[in-house]
Amino acid sequence: MTLYASQSLLEQIHALGEAAYPEEGAGLLYGEIRGDDRLATGVRPLPNSVEEDGRRRRYRIAPQEMIAAEMEAEHQGLEVIGVFHSHPDHPAVASETDREWALPWYSYLITSVREGRAAESRSWRLTDDRSMMIEEAVSVAQEARW
Amino acid sequence: MVMIRVPAPLRPYTGGAKEVQVQGQTVATALADLSLRHPDLRPHLFDDRGELRPFVNLFLNEEDIRSLQGTATPVAEGDRLMIVPSIAGGRPDQPALPRVDHAALRTNQAVIIGSLIGAFIADSGWLVALVGAIMALGSLLGVAGFLPIYRLLRAAGIFKPDVLPDHPEPHRFAQALGAAFLLAGSLALGLGVPAAGWALTWIVIGLAALNLFGGLCVGCLVYYWLSRLGAPWFTKTPPAGARPGRRPPAPSDSPR
Repeated sequence: MTLYASQSLLEQIHALGEAAYPEEGAGLLYGEIRGDDRLATGVRPLPNSVEEDGRRRRYRIAPQEMIAAEMEAEHQGLEVIGVFHSHPDHPAVASETDREWALPWYSYLITSVREGRAAESRSWRLTDDRSMMIEEAVSVAQEARW
Repeated sequence: MVMIRVPAPLRPYTGGAKEVQVQGQTVATALADLSLRHPDLRPHLFDDRGELRPFVNLFLNEEDIRSLQGTATPVAEGDRLMIVPSIAGGRPDQPALPRVDHAALRTNQAVIIGSLIGAFIADSGWLVALVGAIMALGSLLGVAGFLPIYRLLRAAGIFKPDVLPDHPEPHRFAQALGAAFLLAGSLALGLGVPAAGWALTWIVIGLAALNLFGGLCVGCLVYYWLSRLGAPWFTKTPPAGARPGRRPPAPSDSPR
């Protein structure tokens, strides 16, 4: 259970989290699937549709955006493999809210942004019985490869 | 028969099928038939009370069923029902921050600076010990040591409160650190090592002045560093939007 990504893609995700600070930034991960592993090859940043007051601790991506994203990914021969979002001034650990709203199978890449700077990213997946989010390995290389 | 389109994350529960043909007269009965055919899918669509999970959106022929009749919307032969997740989450809820009166902290610093300089001029190790003891007592009680003086000044209308959402713990830690320096310093003075005693005292004067005039609480900074290193008891992180050791933003300062 590993999420593979290139250094530059991870930097792009970190920059998006920093740009959204002190609010939460979010988007979708595009990529390829191989067994239980994924290779993230692209991101689609998405507007946070939570009302202004809640954006510091919540994000939401509207279903219409999901439909458009799935079509875009399909068009590129890719799949939506997961979601990335930032936790401003909080650890990169999946929260209770993350678990409640999570879909199985997706990789949830969480970036901790402290004082406006991305500190670390960790990835999580929901278990089949929805009881918990378990961490998956993130493998970062110079280029996007398995 | 109605065709239901299953999103990628739920396909492992339909044997990989992207589309599933089901029976039903309404959206609700079509979904019930879907969960009957693929029981492992059910917990991801419905909660324990049988209600649709909040992230499950249903589009009937590209129209959101919420703008139709919800799950009671009738479905007909050849209709296409799409399950579309909305993605959401976020960091844990932070309990509302307690309030800290920064005017009380500044009064405390001013009295500490004044009495320690007085102690140095009068060459009084006892006064250093007294200030240290008052600060230690304040830290134990979780208040500024010279809070009674601030209360008098505030009652006299000289000071206005400056109450901000903030963690009291780092300030408490900073004061305890100052108290430790002063008690060690007075011990050194008592043992006849004035250089060490006054050096420790002047460090406290300097740091209190840096806080009072420069707005930087070094003790708080140390607290937040220890917190970042995962030290036990040091559990608080800087208030959102605040630089560690600096004055936190007033609620109305928050960016829109």
